[in-house]
Amino acid sequence: MATHCDVVCPFCGLGCDDLTVEEDAGRLAVRSTDCPVARERFGHTPPAEPPRVGGRPASFDDAVRAAAEILWTSRAPLVAGLGTDVAGVRAALALAERVGAVVDHERSEGLYRNLAVFQRSGWIATTFAELRNRCDLLLVVGPDPAALHPRFYERWVVPPPALQAPALREVVFLCGEPLETTRAALGEVPFTVIPGDATQIGAVAAALSTALTDPTGAAPGIAGLAERLRAAHYAVVAWAAAGFPGAHADLAVERLVRLVQDVNRQTRCAGLPLAGYDNVVGANQVCTWQLGVPLRTSLAGGAPRHDPHRFAWERFQHAADAVLWISAFRPEMPAFATGKAVVALAQPGTAFAAEPAVVIPVGTPGIDHAAHVFRGDSIVALRTGHLIDRGLPDVAAVLSAITAALPQEASC
Amino acid sequence: MLTKLAGGRIYDPAQGRDGEVGDLFVRDGRIVADPGTEPDETIDLSGKVVMAGAIDIHSHIAGGKVNLARLLMAEEHRAEPVTAEGLCRCGGGVATPSTHVTGCRYAQMGYTAAFEPAMLASNARHAHLEMADIPLIDTGGYLVLGNDDLFLELLASGAGEAAIADYVGWMLTATRSLAVKSVNPGGINAFKYNQRKLDVDAVGPFHAITPRRILAALAAAVRRLGVPHPLHLHGFNLGVPGNVEATLDSIAAVDGLPLHLTHVQFHAYGTEGDRRFSSAATQIAEMVNRTPTLSIDVGQIMFGQTVTASADTMAQMGNAGHAHPKKWAVMDIECDAGCGVVPFRYRDKAFVNALQWAIGLELFLLVTDPWRIFLTTDHPNGAPFTSYPELIRLLMDRDYRLAKLAELHPDVPAHCILPSLAREYTLGEIATMTRAAPARSLGLKDRGHLGPGAAADVVVYTDRPDRRAMFETPDLVFKDGRLIVRDGVMVALAAGRTHVVEPGHDPAIEAWIDRRFEARMGQKLAHFRISADEIRDGDGLVRHDCRPGAF
Repeated sequence: MATHCDVVCPFCGLGCDDLTVEEDAGRLAVRSTDCPVARERFGHTPPAEPPRVGGRPASFDDAVRAAAEILWTSRAPLVAGLGTDVAGVRAALALAERVGAVVDHERSEGLYRNLAVFQRSGWIATTFAELRNRCDLLLVVGPDPAALHPRFYERWVVPPPALQAPALREVVFLCGEPLETTRAALGEVPFTVIPGDATQIGAVAAALSTALTDPTGAAPGIAGLAERLRAAHYAVVAWAAAGFPGAHADLAVERLVRLVQDVNRQTRCAGLPLAGYDNVVGANQVCTWQLGVPLRTSLAGGAPRHDPHRFAWERFQHAADAVLWISAFRPEMPAFATGKAVVALAQPGTAFAAEPAVVIPVGTPGIDHAAHVFRGDSIVALRTGHLIDRGLPDVAAVLSAITAALPQEASC
Repeated sequence: MLTKLAGGRIYDPAQGRDGEVGDLFVRDGRIVADPGTEPDETIDLSGKVVMAGAIDIHSHIAGGKVNLARLLMAEEHRAEPVTAEGLCRCGGGVATPSTHVTGCRYAQMGYTAAFEPAMLASNARHAHLEMADIPLIDTGGYLVLGNDDLFLELLASGAGEAAIADYVGWMLTATRSLAVKSVNPGGINAFKYNQRKLDVDAVGPFHAITPRRILAALAAAVRRLGVPHPLHLHGFNLGVPGNVEATLDSIAAVDGLPLHLTHVQFHAYGTEGDRRFSSAATQIAEMVNRTPTLSIDVGQIMFGQTVTASADTMAQMGNAGHAHPKKWAVMDIECDAGCGVVPFRYRDKAFVNALQWAIGLELFLLVTDPWRIFLTTDHPNGAPFTSYPELIRLLMDRDYRLAKLAELHPDVPAHCILPSLAREYTLGEIATMTRAAPARSLGLKDRGHLGPGAAADVVVYTDRPDRRAMFETPDLVFKDGRLIVRDGVMVALAAGRTHVVEPGHDPAIEAWIDRRFEARMGQKLAHFRISADEIRDGDGLVRHDCRPGAF
């Protein structure tokens, strides 16, 4: 039995680094928080399994060779999932470049609702510690982000803003109800709920923008909220776009971004687009610095071509003839069409809808090996610890081995 | 393996060599004295110009704001993809090149080091991860201080010079930085409290400190710690006509302590003339010429599309209306600093842009000591670093300069003294300002020169009258003794190194910082601190000496 203190949690993107995790015979249990994400993910550490090729146990080298063969002979490979640390993403991009693959992260849809707006118009944004220490009015828009990021309020909203005078904060929920756990977490922090239809976030944000300068004609709740935004010293508008219902959620994000800009004409206000599950923000950062363009990029033809629509993995999987899927954070994997050659780098114990052509079990960043991951506010990168040894390779090592097993000549 | 680089004209200002013909000997990646033994390999450099690898003292190559700039410059990346070719991996971009492209383009121009001048403590781990992916060149980061609430709180508490220096020393070490940068000291913090302007002697919000106090305290801390590079200052009121007064004020504020003013072109504007926008290059240059503790880099602008990326949210918010294309981003960051990204197109037919171009060149030509002025475009803010060869031609060729001036907005010649400046930089002066001087200023003892013991970063050029062509495509580039570029083509890859300082300080400050991290930052100090083995996977950290009180 061993106790690990101040453990970094790499899973949801909040960057909690204060966990107490107990280890007993290779099993881990989180003792310091009720966070369901942390408890579930740290709690899932089944023993290592051997790689499999065609459903049969295989040596690591045979599995690597089989994976290389599939990717090398593929005419339209997809390297996705990308649920891995910075080193794993680097290795995935190097491999994708060699075989001319499309790259994407499993959770990029929520990120892209934000990035699409950023690329069109830019934004005014902030980070977690600014929220915690300077924000006097937090406006949470849409479905409660705590559903995806359970300790959001506890860590970043409940502590009073030490760098604001007076050190007081209020929270407003707009077009979304706070979860019961959120109501409990907020404790003494005053909050109000302005109900609304989450499919109408864009229209409500636009009405708020209008009401900033002309409250006549605005609904009373909206006019009052506009006044509070104007009176705030440092308002933060937070949203988790992954939870926005309906098509074209990026248009709702665009209205929120515009609202933040409008409030800034008079006082300070900043957006907090929440994302970051399974290091999606880190994957996007590495992709952007290495390729110049973000995720959802094709490396077929030798140069990066970014197309957030065409190269989203959920769409491109239909065109792909081979898939390398990387999921080191969760024992889950999407089902792919039968007949597709799938190579899975997955946690042991992952349930597959259909047995992939090659399965190589990998360790989890932050559990089996030290790793760099990004927090969801995109600025802070963290280095996780290394808690147990199950004898599982890390993603970077597996991908480097696959790349090394490719024929040496150029692929095109 | 002993290699003899024979018979080149060696420009090595640190060794007092100004084009004399001589030999260099390279063994195990280092320059060595003539060992008197037969070399294993001799490379004939007769007639060629030989210099140390060039060093860019101020270039935004990595970190959060650079990645935001890449994202915002989506059109550029769509238009300018780079295909993988030979040793060069794919990527793209001009003003915001991807990491591999950055390293390759620098190396192809004979640069063997470039330093990221605005590394935020909160983003330092990201910056280091990204810099490690830039091949071929050495890197390092300057830590941005002076808007972080911890520093401001410490200063406001009346902490003495020793405690301030301890804080700075601890932060430099924890973030694996090479130098201290300050960006609009106090201004970025004030912007978080909705102040859009903060003068040098204005009392800032919340912490109630003046920028002058911040500036003086940081300059003193850098000196006390013995960090080789002086405080690297991005001054006040960037881009605002009349900001020369604030620039001169900031020089006065450090009261004779060493100071480096960066991208000073953006801070050298007067309000004279019918357009209320004029060159103050003469005033700045005179101040530099008579102040031996002062150095500058220029931040030359060149015409065309680029993007400005800066920690100076206050200035960038003010400039957002000039965005081209019309999109921009501002971020408040982690009780630390911020970043603002504004795409910009400098137009030669626009009076203001054309005069900015002339002001930069005036600064280059009026500052007499090439040891205290460095060649920069503040990449990408004034122009991409790939425009350096063109800039060198403008400095070395007066006729070319005047011909270019004649193409600009017609009112510019009457509003500046550039037409009357006859100076042409010599090869020796170029070698000083792009090699010897930045290395000396940063404390890189074994870079920027070709004396025994130096890293064998060596560049060989054909002496062409067209200086742009000459500096665009060196014949040979060696990194640590290894030939990496021949006639503009990459022939080998090499990893760069990361240069840092670890100034001595009283570790007792850590307890003070730790309490505040616990109370506010939502991050443990132990996790904030970057361990040495995180830099380039533990291979490539170069520590440089600090010499307290050695100025």
